[in-house]
Amino acid sequence: MRAGLIASLAGHTALLVWGLIAFPDAESFSAPQMETLPVDLVPIEEFTQLRLGERTAEVQEEAALQPADTPDQEPPKPADKPGESRVEQPTPPTPAPAPTPQPEPEPQPEPTPEPEPEPAPTPEPEPAPEPEQAAEPAPAPEPTPQEASPPPPQPIVTSVAPRTKPTPPRPTPEPPKDNFDSTDIAALLNKVEPAQQSGNATQEPAALGSRQGAQNVRMTQSELDALRGMVARCWNPPVGAVGAENLVVRVRFNLSENGQVSSAPEVINSNGNPAFAAAASSAVRAINRCQPYSLPIAKYEAWQEVIINFDPREMLGG
Amino acid sequence: METLAQTTLAAPQGDISFFALFWQAHIVVKIVMLGLLGASVWCWAIIVDKVMLIGRTRRQMTRFETVFWSGQSLEELYGTLHNRVNHSMAALFVAAMREWKRSHEGARPAIASLQQRIDRVMDVTIQREAERLENRLLVLATVGSAAPFIGLFGTVWGIMTAFQAIAASESTNLAVVAPGIAEALFATALGLLAAIPAVIAFNKFNADVAKAIARMEGFADEFSAILSRQIDERG
Repeated sequence: MRAGLIASLAGHTALLVWGLIAFPDAESFSAPQMETLPVDLVPIEEFTQLRLGERTAEVQEEAALQPADTPDQEPPKPADKPGESRVEQPTPPTPAPAPTPQPEPEPQPEPTPEPEPEPAPTPEPEPAPEPEQAAEPAPAPEPTPQEASPPPPQPIVTSVAPRTKPTPPRPTPEPPKDNFDSTDIAALLNKVEPAQQSGNATQEPAALGSRQGAQNVRMTQSELDALRGMVARCWNPPVGAVGAENLVVRVRFNLSENGQVSSAPEVINSNGNPAFAAAASSAVRAINRCQPYSLPIAKYEAWQEVIINFDPREMLGG
Repeated sequence: METLAQTTLAAPQGDISFFALFWQAHIVVKIVMLGLLGASVWCWAIIVDKVMLIGRTRRQMTRFETVFWSGQSLEELYGTLHNRVNHSMAALFVAAMREWKRSHEGARPAIASLQQRIDRVMDVTIQREAERLENRLLVLATVGSAAPFIGLFGTVWGIMTAFQAIAASESTNLAVVAPGIAEALFATALGLLAAIPAVIAFNKFNADVAKAIARMEGFADEFSAILSRQIDERG
């Protein structure tokens, strides 16, 4: 027994000594140094704010739709340029009287009179939201001075540019160019703005607005997209009809607080296309079928009344 | 940011050598570790001892069998063996022969139940030999079954204290968590280190002892048959 004990003790001692020698060599894992990226959490509402219109005019609703729509593509740009042109227009008028008397042969007289009538019409047809647009995209004034400062005497070109930019998909905004050349500015402005609105509205499959919304109630773009998505899921667009891609249906309906459709959806536009009735009924069916809609109850003011554009082009074109 | 990352990378270089793991441990865990180490030492001592004993026994039996079946006279064999300390088959043979001799020595030889007495003496000798071979095997069995639990107890205790320390330090950094857990796991490692050889050795020795005893019983039966024939021939 003593031999066994001695052998065992010797073996354990040897093992411990080996452990003392070998074990501390445990190498640390090679941990590559990570690059640290500072991440700020910003509520999306700051970027995709939707201000609700205050007045009850229908044009105003469309105008209220635009801020919601425009951020989809390139939030600051389209909103900025009209806003910027409007911001600039007030400023040129003040220097405008000065240049006009001094150098008559200059081409400036042409632009200068133009801005003058512009500020006058803009407040009249335009609802409150549009000045708000100009105020909201304040973070992106950087591109505007760059573009605006080189050609200061031509503010109209910049103001037209955004209008032509959205036009390529649409043939209608092109005529305004011709009209613009005719220099009948008051008429031009009155024409162009509805064109822009319609151009934007058709690019978006759905738009949302409310007449009675309080000013401080805002829906974020993601919430609007959620509603759009919910409706689009149930929508079977009239694919086979002739000219189906032009069958834009505008539907207005009211929602109750639990997300149910409280009033019968009402089609508020019309179209000569014989398939329009089918398209309209498909849109109404989609709205009825997908209820209830789960939307933030705190913003019920904002989605109490909803207007949605059903644009098959968005749907068919992917 | 960079300084933060560097400090977290530089911090976890804790000492995790055997002694560091041991000295950092809680007193309960230390006792568990020491106990397990002692159990391991004791187990290995038994294992070495048993290996030697069983090997020796097997060799002795083989040698005795060759001598026994070599045609040598039983009286002579008894004469050479009966003064020594004998084990296994030799002990069986000496015990049986002593009983035989005693029965024939007196004025009135007691031969009537000599066969039964010889059988009983050999049974007792086999039992004694088996006890000698199986001695301390139960320690191996106990260590083999209990050491993992003891190690686990030490680990659970160590992890408990480690978590308490983590909670007190209010940091979930892995550098804070790791040493305590490594130290706690060391107890389980020791438990397994003691238990695994013990279990293996216990099973092996059990089989070896059973084999040796079976061999002795076979020899006892044969020798009993030989003596029985002698008794009948003489009687």
